[in-house]
Amino acid sequence: MEGEVLSAVGPVLGVRDLRKDYRQRPVLRGVSLDLYPGQLAGIVGENGSGKSTLLRILAGDLAADSGTVERAGLLGCCPQETVLHQAFTVAQHLRFFQAAYGLSHLTRAFELLEQLNLSDYRHERVAALSGGTRQKLNLVLALIHDPQVLLLDEPYQGFDWETYLRFWDLAGALRDRGCAVLVVSHLAYDASRLDILYRLQAGVLRQPEQPEPGVVAV
Amino acid sequence: MTRWWSCFRTALRFALIEQACNRLALLIVVLFVPLWTTLAYTVVPSTPLRFRIRPVGRTVVMDGNILLQINGALQALSLVIAFMMFVGTARSALFDQRLVRAGYPRSCLALAKCTALLMITAVVAAYTTGWMRLFWRPEQSLVLAAGMFSGALVYGGVGIVLAAVVRSELAGMFLAIMISSIDLVLQNPLINPAADSPVVRFLPAYAAVQTSVAAAGLQVVPVSCLLLGSGWAVGVAALGMAAFTARTRSHHPPVATNTAATDVEQTAPVP
Repeated sequence: MEGEVLSAVGPVLGVRDLRKDYRQRPVLRGVSLDLYPGQLAGIVGENGSGKSTLLRILAGDLAADSGTVERAGLLGCCPQETVLHQAFTVAQHLRFFQAAYGLSHLTRAFELLEQLNLSDYRHERVAALSGGTRQKLNLVLALIHDPQVLLLDEPYQGFDWETYLRFWDLAGALRDRGCAVLVVSHLAYDASRLDILYRLQAGVLRQPEQPEPGVVAV
Repeated sequence: MTRWWSCFRTALRFALIEQACNRLALLIVVLFVPLWTTLAYTVVPSTPLRFRIRPVGRTVVMDGNILLQINGALQALSLVIAFMMFVGTARSALFDQRLVRAGYPRSCLALAKCTALLMITAVVAAYTTGWMRLFWRPEQSLVLAAGMFSGALVYGGVGIVLAAVVRSELAGMFLAIMISSIDLVLQNPLINPAADSPVVRFLPAYAAVQTSVAAAGLQVVPVSCLLLGSGWAVGVAALGMAAFTARTRSHHPPVATNTAATDVEQTAPVP
């Protein structure tokens, strides 16, 4: 039912027959997928199945050998490894990304800090933060400009249980705002929270599954 | 244009903060430069040595300890600036890439790094010249500082280039030390009596050494050396910026029009 409504709108991310080889070894062998506004999608796959390569191509970090990627609206990316600067404080990171995204204010950023319990660390340098706190900031930087398409690579790595639950609340809220969210993980706990779950195996994206409640996809 | 300037100011401020956080480099500047200039002046014999200043066609005879102090100060300065720029560029590589992907103007980041390099190098060169002036009076202090500045600037650029080609900080600093050693040892009249050989004209710090010695002992401004030093600095910095551009390049797919994006928001399903 929801799919029909979304189809009328059209995908915000359209991927067609994406292929990528590393030194003659095929990593992606014709990946196609559509991501619609307000859709929370997941891609699971074993280590080395091509998840990170796919996400790097979608994020613009890497060029595909063939295939097309079409996107509508602003993109937000949260890389698997925290990409932050050790010398800067949380507030300085926000200031830098405010300039990058061309934002007039940081109201949304402060909301996100609050939601992820990060406000108290605003004036701390990244070098002094724990791994989980860095991961929260890594996520916030991908969200402060209210993207229409959000790519998350293992976003809850290093989160404690409380933050993990907050992450899913946040993902749900983003979906409600009309953001298309793609979560990539080697395993998807709480697959039932996703609207659609793809499985990437040996560079091929399997037909979508409708996640069942309580299913843990590995 | 307003956004560009705003981004440039932000990037410059943060580039300076980033360098200020490199405590080891600051410690080296504050302690190592005075230590080295003091030791070179007091320990090395003051036996007069001749040195050919090719661009003005004159040979000066100066105390050996002064010549070695100039050479050593240039080496210390070059290495510390190379270290600062290498570490700064290498540690911020992925972060810069993320900023550019997020829409930060690449030219702002690149120019901010170059401006920070100029500012830091100017301060450190002035500081080093000040220390040397405590021991002897150069004929032209400002030109001596300019010589120090141009040599350090070249090695700042070397630091940026090395950060683009090697990943390990140890490997980067090892290469910088090797390049600087070959460069400045070959121009040291105390170690190599033929330091005024034509071959040295092709070394990166040649112009800096010639300018600094000329400033120490002559009233003539070696304009061609200053230009050559600037040429080296601009050339190496351009190489570094080319590497920076290559590293931060993006393969973003075509983005649909704003209308499509607006439609997306308006028709988003709300459960």
